[in-house]
Parts: sequence; C-alpha cells; structure tokens
Amino acid sequence: MTVLTDPQIQTLRAAVDRIIPEDDYPGAWGAGVGEYLGRQMHGNPQFPRDIYRAGLDALDVEAQLQTGEPFCALSAAAQDDLLAQIEIGRVVSSWQVDPAAFFAFLVHYTMEGYYSDPDNGGNQDGIAWKMIGFEVRG
Amino acid sequence: MTQYDVIVIGAGAGGGVVAAVLAEAGKRVLLLERGRAQSFDELGRDHLRNHRLSQHGHSTGPELDGNPRVFVDPAGQERVLQPHEDGYQNNAAAVGGGTRVFGAQAWRFLPQDFQMATTYGVPADSSLADWPIGYDDLAPYYERAEWELGVAGDEGNRAIWPRSRPYPLPPMSPGRQGVVLRQGLASLGWDTRAVPLLINTEGYNNRAACIRCQHCVGFACPTDAKNGTHNTVIPRALATGRCELVTEAMVTLIDTDSAGCVSGVSYVDREGHHHQLQAAAVVCAAGAIETARLLLNSASRMHPRGLGNQHDQVGRHLQGHYYAGAAGLRAEPVFDGQGPGVSTATCEFNHGNREVIGGGMLADDFIVLPIILWKRMLPPDLPRWGQANKTFMRENYRRFLQVMGPVHEIPSPEARVTVDTSVQDRWGLPVARLSGTTHPETVRTAAFMVERAQDWLEASGVTRVWSRKPGLYLSAGQHQAGTCRMGADPRTSVVDTCGRVHGHDNLYVADASVHVTNGGFNPVLTILALAYRTAEQIAHSG
Ligand SMILES: Cc1cc2nc3c(=O)[nH]c(=O)nc-3n(C[C@H](O)[C@H](O)[C@H](O)COP(=O)(O)OP(=O)(O)OC[C@H]3O[C@@H](n4cnc5c(N)ncnc54)[C@H](O)[C@@H]3O)c2cc1C
Repeated sequence: MTVLTDPQIQTLRAAVDRIIPEDDYPGAWGAGVGEYLGRQMHGNPQFPRDIYRAGLDALDVEAQLQTGEPFCALSAAAQDDLLAQIEIGRVVSSWQVDPAAFFAFLVHYTMEGYYSDPDNGGNQDGIAWKMIGFEVRG
Repeated sequence: MTQYDVIVIGAGAGGGVVAAVLAEAGKRVLLLERGRAQSFDELGRDHLRNHRLSQHGHSTGPELDGNPRVFVDPAGQERVLQPHEDGYQNNAAAVGGGTRVFGAQAWRFLPQDFQMATTYGVPADSSLADWPIGYDDLAPYYERAEWELGVAGDEGNRAIWPRSRPYPLPPMSPGRQGVVLRQGLASLGWDTRAVPLLINTEGYNNRAACIRCQHCVGFACPTDAKNGTHNTVIPRALATGRCELVTEAMVTLIDTDSAGCVSGVSYVDREGHHHQLQAAAVVCAAGAIETARLLLNSASRMHPRGLGNQHDQVGRHLQGHYYAGAAGLRAEPVFDGQGPGVSTATCEFNHGNREVIGGGMLADDFIVLPIILWKRMLPPDLPRWGQANKTFMRENYRRFLQVMGPVHEIPSPEARVTVDTSVQDRWGLPVARLSGTTHPETVRTAAFMVERAQDWLEASGVTRVWSRKPGLYLSAGQHQAGTCRMGADPRTSVVDTCGRVHGHDNLYVADASVHVTNGGFNPVLTILALAYRTAEQIAHSG
C-alpha cells in the first residue's frame, strides 16, 4: 500500500487547514479530513494518486523557491497567498501536474471530507454538521 | 408451449405496474431486473454515493465496472463514462428502479402538455409533437396510480386538473420554508399548491407514515413510507403466485423467430449463466436509454436495424428535464429539519407564457445535504475555500432557500441513443451512445423560468438571490424519456397508442420511452399511469 511521506503529510495538513481553517470549530485536519483522504487514496480506484502526490511535492517546491521555506513553515497569510496563486495556475517552479487542477481537486476532496457523513472518515462526531446546523433526527 | 404469458424487462416504475396488473389478470409473468432488492440498511446514507450526489459511486446500481456508456459532448468529443460520472445519464438499477430512491413528487401532466405542437406550433429542427392520446385518456389511470400506490396532496387555490376523485392522503404539511414561500406566492397572487407526493402522510396500505427524516430524495425510506413500485405493486404481483421476479438478471436480447416475430428474451443471471426463455408477449420497461439500446441490440435478419426501428426512430427525441431555479438567503433561518423539505409549488407558468414555448412547475427543494450545498449551490462570487467560505457555510446553511422546477423540453430528433459497437459492457453487448442536445428553445424557456424563480424568492423575503444561466446540452438523466415515442404513424413513432411496437403483435414498451414530450413536471406518475393503460390492453388482448 502506498502512503504519503512525512513531508507530504505536513504539506497536506497545512494546505487543507487553509482550505478550511480552524476557528472556534475545527479546521479540516482537526475534523478528520486526513482520515477521509487516506480512505479515498486506498479505497477509491479512481482517486488520482499521482496528481495528489506530485501536487503535494510541487506545492512544497513552489514554497521553497518563492520564500526559501517549506510550505508548512509559512505563516497562514503567506500560505493563503501562495494557494491563491496556485488556484489560478500562477507558479514559478516547474510542476508535473496542472497546479490549478491539483488545487481544485484538493479543495473538493477537503470539502467532501469535512461536510459529508462521518462514515466516510471526516466530519468526525458530525462536528461540521453541528457547526452549520444540519441535524439528523430520523 | 411458451413458458410465460408475459416477460417484463425491468422492475422499475413502468415494469412494476405491468407485472402487477397482468399477474392479477391471471397471466403467468416473469419480471427480470438487472439490479437487486436492497434493504434500507444496505442502501445506507452515504452522502457521496447516492442518486443525489454520486461523487464516488452510488448505493443503487448499476455497478461502476462493466456498465460503460459513450457520451458525445456538444463539441463532438467522445468519452467512455462510468455510471456515476457526469453525462452518463444514470437512473437507479434496483427493484423499484428509480422509485426505490426517488423524491416521490407525483404530478399529473396538464391537458396542454399532451398538445404542445397544436398549442405552440413546431419550431424549426425540433420534433415537438402532440401526443396521440390526451389527458382524458390517461385521467382514470392517473387516479389508479394515485390510489393504488398512495399519493398525498391537495389542489391548492386553483383546480387545474379535471379529476373525479381527490388524493387518497392529506398533503404534507409545509415546514418553515414552505410557509415562507407560500407567503411569497400569496403576495404575488400566483397559483399555490401542495406538492403531491408518493409518501404516506398517514398510515396507508398497511405501511407507516413518514417520520419527516432528513434523507429523502436519493435515499431509501427508514419507515417504508415512500411509495415506489418495490413496496406496492411488485409485492402485489408476487402475492398472486403467478409472477416470478428474478434479480441480477440482465436481459441481453429480445429474441425473434425466423419470421421476425418476438418469441421471448435472453438473459444472463448473477452467476453468468445464459438463459433463453419464451413468452407470448414481451414488455420493455428498462428505462428510456436501456429500452432503446435493447431494441437496437436485438437486430436480426428480419429486423436489420433493430426492433421497431424500420424508420430510424428508436432512440431519437431523447429528453429529460432542464432544471430552472434560483437560490438565496433569508435573514431569518428557514431550515427546520422537517423532511422531505419539498412541500410547496406553483403551476403559474406551465403554459400561457407569451415569450416562450411551454414552461414548467416551480417548487421548493428537498432538504439539501451540506456537501451538495457546497458543491452546487453557493453564490458564484463566493471564494471556494478559506475562512470566508467556512463562515458562509456556517452562517447560511439554515438561511439558504431555493426554488426550482422541471422545464418542459422542446425535443430534438438529434438528441439520441444509438449503440456503440466499439465499446462493450461486461456481457459483451454494445453500449448506449448518447449524442446531441436539446432544442435551443428549451434554453429560452429555462431562462424565462429562472427569472420567475427569482421573482418568487424576492417576494418571499430573500435578500440575496443568485442563479445559473442555462446553456445548451443533452438532458436525460433521472427523468430520461422519449426514445420510443408513441404515435399513430409508424414513420414518426415507435409504439402505437397502446404502447405496442409498430409492426409487432406482442412487443410492448411500458416506461418513459413512450413519452412524446415530457411535461413541465417530474414524470413518474405519467409513467405509472401509462403502464396501467398498456397493461390493461395486454390483458385484454388475450
Ligand atoms: C434520486 C431520484 C429522484 C427522483 N425523484 C423523482 C420525483 O420526485 N418525481 C418523479 O416523478 N420522478 C422522480 N425520479 C425519476 C423516476 O424515478 C423515473 O422517472 C422513473 O423511475 C422512470 O421509470 P421507468 O419505468 O421509465 O424506468 P426505471 O424506473 O428506471 O426502471 C427501469 C428498470 O429496468 C432495469 N433494467 C434496465 N436494463 C435492463 C436489462 N437489460 N435487463 C434487466 N433489467 C434492466 C433497471 O435496472 C431499472 O430498475 C427520480 C429518480 C431518482 C433516481
């Protein structure tokens, strides 16, 4: 089974926590999006593993090249700036995958983990549903 | 001697009704369904794998592997798709077909819906046509469907359907969103009515009442209060002892003899064994895309272009429903968690709109799952991620309100199902190839309906309203219809006014394929009513 490297996990965690930041409710990682993505990577044959891993590596290289620091070490504001550039495909390093497509994929999967049912691995204890007020009563 | 009086292909909406009527009339019926009979627990409540959002698959088939289709986009680009992917135009494959997990809206079509060409004329390049039968022909069968399956509703402030009997069940009471939207309709002076639902608002047919849960459309019902064919007519058919239901049975061919007469069907069972069975009559009820595919794949020496296809009509006029709608936010929360959510509609704009052809019904929505709100319904100018996105979800999930409805499509003969011999399914059969788009007039009508949806929300105290502009595309999906159009003239239709395939004595179609046009309403009650009518004809024809 393929797993992410430690640096990939750190980049992932930092990125998804900018996609859904923590406030008085958990951010993406704290709500279980990492678990959701792990299950997708291993259980969903259509999960784009290559884009996922190559994109995480490229994100880190991009951060290093632009700031001299790994992505996960940047301030929240600097991470947001960098992600906003990647979202529109504006990068300086050479990416093996389309940066905008990678970021759109990461945003979608982060949201799926956060807002879908807890049985998928994210939204643990239904925390996202409590936050927005979706109640399952029957 | 033939083994069965009738073989019915597909245990969905139409097929379920046909099986019950014929078994109760004394016929020996075989009902073949490629899907399974699944319990509520098996179907589950996966927010990413259901027939509302099939992001990574669905709980109700068809299986992701081995069931491809080819989709040709408007630019001519071909793609091979799996069932859960956009463009596949999927519907559920299960005992009950679409009705296993549907939203249960149970609308009759209006009298004018059967006379679109007479009412509006025929736009160039469209295949808009009148039905060969009218509302009055179908009215008794609408009533039967309403009473035998169980529909809750009322006629609201304006009776627009001639009907001889009321609905058997009282309407679903409106939740907070329904109350707000009814106030909006009242202030506009628009037609206002409860959405008729195939849902038990009280105990009915020995099953319980709806408990107003939050997972209705796209899911199975926890109290079995949603009335599909799987829990009404199919059990009735089986109770006669004359109907046999085989699940995971994929019909591969409708067999014809050397004279070209239909003799039975071939199917593959769940172990992969092939069977060939004989019957005095065969009824196709596999849904609009699969029925067309099966007729085309059943070509033989006497029927080189497929069954019923001597005039190249099978598979044409594929249609479904554009959905026109608008969304917005109320200052006060409208979410109250009372399922199914949909309760309130207006038929103000189904017809009589000066600028456009036809129109459609508008209604409020089912409870929107959080991930669906995020994926499909956010305002276009909202950032897609970050704190602003999270704050929006948090502050507005309960204030979000949307109205929408199916637009009566103007069909095009170029929107069609053919078979693609270069791509095969797991049984080695050519798959359905879907191409073309709806007629551009549909887009105009949809744009008009979007504006009416906006008007309704604005009159309902909604502060910020947004909607998407409709474009031109192929629409079929869960409301797929039209591929074996009913008509008196074999050159322009596939089945006669009874649902019998032109040129055949014993081959029928009893699903949404026969719709000439698809109404400005969700189609299932019309499919059920037509199936009652066709089944009665078969029962009487010996
Ligand atoms: C989530 C959802 C919500 C919906 N909500 C509504 C609603 O609120 N109101 C409404 O009016 N409509 C609704 N619909 C649509 C409605 O369910 C369909 O219009 C209706 O079920 C179509 O009926 P049919 O008889 O044409 O085909 P189906 O019900 O699709 O039945 C066809 C059956 O044939 C089987 N089959 C296909 N090929 C073969 C083969 N070769 N061999 C054996 N079996 C085969 C299929 O597996 C299927 O079970 C909804 C559908 C879905 C999925």
